[in-house]
Amino acid sequence: MAEESGMRSFAKKFVFNAIKAMLKTFIFYGLYLFVWSFFAIFESYVPNLHQTVENFVIVYISLGIFRDIMSDTVFQYFFDVAKAFFVIGYLTLALNGGIINLLYMGITLTIDLRFFLTAAILLSLLGLSRSILQAINYANKKAESTSPNF
Amino acid sequence: MDFSIRMIGVASTLFWILLVAFFASAVYSVKDLHLSLGEPQLTLTANSSVIISIPINIENRGYYNLGDFNLTTKVADLNGTKITEGSTFIPTVERGCELIALHNLTFRTDMLLEKGIYYLFNDSSFTITALISVKLAEVIPIKASSNFSVPWGAPFYNFQLGQPIYEPVNQTHVEVVVPISFENHAPVEINGEITIFMCNDEGTLAGQGTSTITAPQGTLYIGEFVLYVQVSEIGQKGFFEVYFSTQFLSYGPLVIPYG
Repeated sequence: MAEESGMRSFAKKFVFNAIKAMLKTFIFYGLYLFVWSFFAIFESYVPNLHQTVENFVIVYISLGIFRDIMSDTVFQYFFDVAKAFFVIGYLTLALNGGIINLLYMGITLTIDLRFFLTAAILLSLLGLSRSILQAINYANKKAESTSPNF
Repeated sequence: MDFSIRMIGVASTLFWILLVAFFASAVYSVKDLHLSLGEPQLTLTANSSVIISIPINIENRGYYNLGDFNLTTKVADLNGTKITEGSTFIPTVERGCELIALHNLTFRTDMLLEKGIYYLFNDSSFTITALISVKLAEVIPIKASSNFSVPWGAPFYNFQLGQPIYEPVNQTHVEVVVPISFENHAPVEINGEITIFMCNDEGTLAGQGTSTITAPQGTLYIGEFVLYVQVSEIGQKGFFEVYFSTQFLSYGPLVIPYG
């Protein structure tokens, strides 16, 4: 009876987490579509721009979904850390270290996005440190709740 | 600890929103940035330099100011030898503002005389290297550079004087008809005068003639000079000294032997 109740509670939690993840995904994708509308005009000038941004969004959302499904477990922080590393790595690679060189109709265009990249990396590191702190806090609480009271 | 972590999360989210919003709006502003070049103006300075002033019209209808706008152009000949270089710098282009700046290219007269003779009679091309750099929203540097070739059409391409035709006028004088031809490959109509001096092989002036020329762009000009010269001064051989005077330039003498 207790096992059945535990299973039901787990299923409820899973469904709740899945719905939360889905809602978050919709909101994030909506935001992405809104922000993309600003960049869409440059799609013809920058090769693979749409594909690059789309790949980023897919992986970012996927990590977010996994994180939400694993909510209330220590694994959610692993996904948070993975997300932070992914943002740093992908932005660094996609932005070619911050200096983008394009050739359009015989015009060589150099865009220096090092300021943006630096700010994004710093914010990702802030997110990373937050995830680590959360994981420590979670482990701490878990230890407190399981340890016998003297 | 929960509160601190939550505050880090709030700050992180807020800064992400600000960063993405700023970056997206700064990039989006590029579509409201218009740059156009006006009709070049030619000016002669007191120290006999020719200045070509190209008006640059910058219209910034974006959300942010533009910083450190710089336009540099370099004109070189076919061999890559620099003919002239010009640079225009505007520290800030305010948002919602439209301004016109002059981009000046200065050509020194001695250089023009040195190189101009070749370009007077020969088609060629110039290589223009243009570099525009600007800071979007005063923090995102963008550089655009391009090399392009501008063909040069010589105004007196294939300039030739034909064989002189001698027609006796009287016992002392003879009428000399000298055919002249050239092609105007220049992008403008050539109006002016050509004066020729006929000299014998000892360098003594035998006669002279002037012809007014009008050669529309891309046409073959065929004309003739009529000179009255003393019979005693004409030799079997000699040379013509040709002087050109047009709305743009004066050049001479071009020495062409005959006989």
